[in-house]
Formats: sequence, C-alpha cells, structure tokens
Amino acid sequence: MNILVCAKQVPSSGEVRLDPDTGTIIRDGCEAVINPFDSHALEAALCLRERLGGTVSVLSMGIPACADMLRDCVARGADQTLLLTDRAFAGADTLATSYALSLGVSALGGFDLILCGRMAVDGDTAQIGPELSERLGIPCVCDVFAIEPQQDALVVRHETDEGTEQVRVPLPALLTVTRELGVPRMPSIDGVARSLRHDVRTLSCAEAGADPEKCGLSGSPTQVLSTAAPQGRGRAQTLADAGQLCTLLREVLE
Amino acid sequence: METAFFVRYTERKKQKAGCLLQDRLFLPLDGQYAQYLRDESRTTGKAETISFPRTEQQVRRVLLGTQGPVTVQGARTGLAAAAVPQGGHILNLSQMDRVTALREENGRFFVTVQPGVVLMRLRRMLHTREFDTRGWDEPSLAALRSLKAAGEQFFPTDPTETTATLGGMAACNASGARSFRYGAMRRHVTALRAVLPDGRVLSLRRGQCMAQGLSLRLVCEDGSEVYVSLPDYRMPRAKNASGYFIAPDMDALDLLIGSDGTLAVITELTLALLPQPPVLWGALLFVPDEHSAVRLSESIRREVSCTAALEYFDRGALRILSRSRARGGVFASLPDPQALGSTAVYAELHCREAAEAQAALLRLGELQRAAGGDSARSLVARTETDRETLTFFRHAVPECVNSLIDERRARFPSLSKRGSDMSVPDGALSEMMDIYLRTLREQGFEYAVWGHIGDNHLHVNILPRDMQEHARASQLFAQWAHEVTRLGGAVSAEHGVGKLKAPFLEIMVGRGTLRGMLRVKQAFDPHLRLGCGNLFGNAKELL
Repeated sequence: MNILVCAKQVPSSGEVRLDPDTGTIIRDGCEAVINPFDSHALEAALCLRERLGGTVSVLSMGIPACADMLRDCVARGADQTLLLTDRAFAGADTLATSYALSLGVSALGGFDLILCGRMAVDGDTAQIGPELSERLGIPCVCDVFAIEPQQDALVVRHETDEGTEQVRVPLPALLTVTRELGVPRMPSIDGVARSLRHDVRTLSCAEAGADPEKCGLSGSPTQVLSTAAPQGRGRAQTLADAGQLCTLLREVLE
Repeated sequence: METAFFVRYTERKKQKAGCLLQDRLFLPLDGQYAQYLRDESRTTGKAETISFPRTEQQVRRVLLGTQGPVTVQGARTGLAAAAVPQGGHILNLSQMDRVTALREENGRFFVTVQPGVVLMRLRRMLHTREFDTRGWDEPSLAALRSLKAAGEQFFPTDPTETTATLGGMAACNASGARSFRYGAMRRHVTALRAVLPDGRVLSLRRGQCMAQGLSLRLVCEDGSEVYVSLPDYRMPRAKNASGYFIAPDMDALDLLIGSDGTLAVITELTLALLPQPPVLWGALLFVPDEHSAVRLSESIRREVSCTAALEYFDRGALRILSRSRARGGVFASLPDPQALGSTAVYAELHCREAAEAQAALLRLGELQRAAGGDSARSLVARTETDRETLTFFRHAVPECVNSLIDERRARFPSLSKRGSDMSVPDGALSEMMDIYLRTLREQGFEYAVWGHIGDNHLHVNILPRDMQEHARASQLFAQWAHEVTRLGGAVSAEHGVGKLKAPFLEIMVGRGTLRGMLRVKQAFDPHLRLGCGNLFGNAKELL
C-alpha cells in the first residue's frame, strides 16, 4: 500500500505567541515541530506499511526550513518527501492550501491512502483533509482512531458528534486521524544517518504547475478581521504539603 | 478541659526534647506530623517536637531553644535516612523556600536561595524567568532584567527526584546524570550561610576561607572563631559523597557541603547558573550485555567530548519496565525496551550547534557497533517530545521497581528495595561489574541495575522476595563496600551516608579517619546534637 502523509510545521505548542499588531502567530524564534496530529498520521502510516508493505511519503507546504521536519519524518521511517515552497504559497487559507497540496499529490503520483492529522494545532480548522479529498475526488473519513485493512478497502472507526461509528471505505481514500493511532516512534541512529543523506524534493508554484491566482493570499477568500489572545485565568501554585497550604491561606485571609 | 490537656501534652513533648516551653515555633510531634518521622529511604524514626522556621533568625531560635538532638530536614527525598530523626527535635526547612537574590557578574548569573527551595521550582523559575521579587534589592532586580534579556540559564545538578530541596542537595552533595559533565552540587555552590548548634552564624564565600594545610580557621559573624583540625586522609579518586570533604588547603565551603546535616544548619545558598546548551540530544543505545555496556561507556567517555550524561540500564531493569509497560497505564506509551535489546546505555549530548551534535550522534552509532550493538537498535531524542519520552523512560525504571517492591510489601510489610550507591575509579568498573554479577548470581537474588555508568557509579538494586533475602542483601552490601574500598572507590557516590550507610563509611575510611572526622564535627557541634546517627552511627561509641 502506498501511503501519503500530509504534515504541517507548527510552533511548539508551549510557545505560541501572537503579534500584538498583526494578530498573527509569531513563528520566528520558536522551536518548530511537526503538527502533533500529523505525527500520529505518520505513525499510523508506518504501522500500515509494516503490515502491508509499500511506501510512506510525506508532503508539506511551507518555508524552506520545513525540510528539516521532513528529514525528521525520514529518520522515523518515511521513504520519500516533497516540500511545496514558494513565496506565492504564503498566507494561504485552507482553500488555497488544499489546492497546492492537491498539486503536490499529483506530482508525487498516485496513492492508495492519504492520511492527515485531524487538525493543525495552530489553526485548529480541521478543514484541509476534507477539502483535499474533495479536490482529489476520493472518499474522506474524519477523526479516525482505528484502521483495519481489507481487500481494496479499509474498515475504520471514527469519532462522530454522537459517538463512534465503523465504516468501510473503498480505496483510494483520505482519512484524518486522532492520537489513538499511536505515539510517533523515535528515530534510530541509522534512521538519522539516512535522513542526513536524504534530499528533500521541493516544488515551487511554477514547478507544481499551479495557477498563482489560486495560491497563497490571492487564492484565499478567507479574511481574518481580528484575533485576540484569551485572558489568562490566573496561575496555579503547587504546594509541598498541608503546612504550606495553611500558611498561604493565612496570608490570603489576612 | 481539652485545651488544658493539650497544653500539658505539648509541654511534656517539649520538655522531653529539651525545648523552650513557651516558644510557639516548637510543635509537639503528634499524629499530624507523623510523616516527618520518615523519608524516602522508607526508614521511620522518632522525635518529640518539630519546627518549621521561615528565617535564619528562627533557625537560631530553634537551635538555642533546644538542648537535645536536632535533625535537619528538607523535602525528605533522601535515600540514606539522613533526615530521619533519632529522638529530640526536627528542624524542617521546607518553609524557607524563597529565592532571595540574583546577581550578574561578567555575564554569569548567581541565584541566592533559602534551603527549602525545591529544585523543580527553581527550574521552573529559571525557565519562565518569573520570580517572586518581594524584598529583592535593586542589583537583584537589575540582574533579573539582564536574565530576561539573556539566553536561558539552567542549574545543572539533576537528581532524579526533582522535589528535593536545594538545602538537602547541598547537605548530601547531590548529583545526577549530568554530573558526568558538570560535576556534583559542590561545584555550583559559590557561597552559603549556616547556623552552628550554639546559634553562631557562618557566612562563607568560595575562595575566601581556605585551610592552611590541614588546619582550618573559620570566623563567625560575631567575630568568634572555629578551629578545625582535619584528619590526614586522602579521598577516593572516584565520584564521592561519603563523609566529609577533606583535602589539604581546602575551601571551608566544601566542608559544609556534603556534611549530611551534622556540622551546621545551612540557611542560604548561592548557586552559579550556566547557559542552557543550544542543542540537547539524547540517545539510548542497546548492546548485548553488561560488559559491552562498560566497553561502550568507556569509549564514549574517551571519544565523544560533548557527552553530558552517560547512564546504564541492565536487563533486570529493562525487563521490569517492559513488564510494567505491558500491563498498560502510564508506561504503555513508552517504547518497548526488550524489543530493542537486553542492556542499554543512555548518552546525552550538549552541543553548541546541530552539526556538532550530528557528528557526535553518528560517532555514538559507530561506538555502539564496535561494542557489539546494532545502531538500528537505538532511540534518538532530538525534539522536545522525544526528549520527554526518554526522560520518562529513564525515570520509569526506578518507579517500576518501586511498584514491584510495593506489591511484595503486601505480604512482607517491612520489605524494601536495597540499593547501592557505590563508585569506583576509572578503569575499575569492569572488575566491579564482575564482582556484582558473580555475587548476585551466587546468592540467587533478583536484581536490577541502573545508574551513572559514565562516573563508574551504578545503583545495584536487590529486590528481595522475602525477609530472609532482605537480611542477606545487607551482608552482600557490606562485602561490596570492602571490594569498592579495595578498588579505591566510594561507598556512597551521591546519596550521602546518612544513617543507612554509616557502617560502610567506617569500612571505607577506617576507624582512625572516622574518629578524625568526628573531631571535625566536635569543632562545630561539641555536644554532638546535629544529625544524630548520620555518618558516625553511634558517635559516642567512637569517642
């Protein structure tokens, strides 16, 4: 089974900061990591490859530094990678992103299965998977937490608003997955060595054959009018024992 | 009626402990304070009263207000029972928990803390750079502004138990995995204040009070002097937390650090911080057996200079972790070690840049293969998530072993794990490993070994299945103490001697030196009131 994983680079979740002027996420100076839900998609793909054979490819769109994230996917076991990187892709909403990703899928060739994380932890839209499947004309199941392969199909279980549901999905298909599909495996030294030798293939807007009007800001009908950081709810303090608690309560009451 | 009874009860307790009856600092040691009779060594003692001073002045009041034994406590996370009282009064410092000052000198930062500050809290404050600055002077506030502008700083001493207090860590000269690179607690203490049992206060700054040969003269804040004649004794050339630090021309500060609460009560510590290394990677390397692990660690020590920690896990430890993992729960998310190999060495790399770490990592792979391992059988942590997984893995090993012992305690309530803390000099670990394995197998013990292989310092844990094995384990530890001494090592490398390892200290240093150490104690504590039972067992028998 040939599987494609879509992965997004996001700021490490403990360090998300908003630019007070623009209201956008400050990405400079933050540790960049693979979107955690996408890492579960990668683990699910690697597990399926172990059972069924085939390949695992990883596709991303972002700045050139995203190549490090893709190399890390190779260190963990991925076979090939593709990075869509071009200023023309910048500022994309989910519609423009799914358009670019669909071109990346075409450039990589056909796949039996595409796996995406259920959502990205920075944007929280959960729209890329369904939009990409729509563009590719393949079925999509969201929030999948169990996958059982069958002949030319998968039986998957997924979360719904009412509970859980089991469905049979013909292949090719796209699934968005949850954390239950597994903690991403750690790389080995051999894996890291392999990733250091790996060339991340990149495609610009023109190389991908994209219509610039459908990419990046120009291709994004979504307009963010404003964003605001939520108000903190005060800080919790951990106390060593009841004695400290009494002292603190006394201070508060006084 | 009840109040009158309580007053009489309190007075009786205070009288027994020799405390000032009217002083409200002294609390009777009744049921609500029973936890303070125990520590993490799972040993229980006895005491009549307890106090929780918040200031140095209150520590003085406690020491001046008692006549009998005083046992100093921090968070009671010690494994050698140093904080377990043997009667008298418990001086618990956990409420002296403020960071009182910060300084910047030549781009380096120094933080001054009360002894009850918990390591985990200090780490959090340094990470977030948020401190409770009430009462701070202007230079401290200026240093905080510099700290916020500087790269992240850290305090390198990293015992497994992060709820330990810094005072406790200084008292036993604690260390941890990263001591391989950064040394033990002692190296990072630049100043301290301490109160002597008679209430006098010592303020020591590194480099300012040095011994002349083996004679040491300390000047107290009131101008009085303490003369110490140090025994003529050469400390082992191995990682060491056994007895007093003694060396010709030594710094007086070093005598107080690692003194196991027997000389004076530490009331303030100034600690040097280090810049956080920009690149921090970890790798768990699996090898076929114990001796391959020794070979691998020796070659890493020689060849990979950016190694900050070098740790060991034997097949017993990995088997127990694997079993706990298979049962589900919190350990289920960990990688299965038994799928990767039987014995493992963990190496942590602290580097200036990723290219240096990459080269070091690839070299680790070569050395793993040279030691008989397969570099495909390794786990590499380069991201925060993976680092957390490996940290959890390392800390899960002792936790799983403790759970196993807890299960056995259902049948044998007095049963406990017996863990060694001995180190040997470079080049002697292979021989000591042979001794450990041969004696453990001869006696049919179940065991798990882990620890700081880079420092030739392993925690050999005997897991007794009944009380008979529990007793036999003690005899084997005494045998190891003799072997370690023969090899020039130390009977305690990081936990301190406390009460549990006092018999081994005598094996290591001999009765004459032990008497010499006791004379050092008498210079500070003539009535032998502080930390009774620590280091010397029954000190009066030694006199």
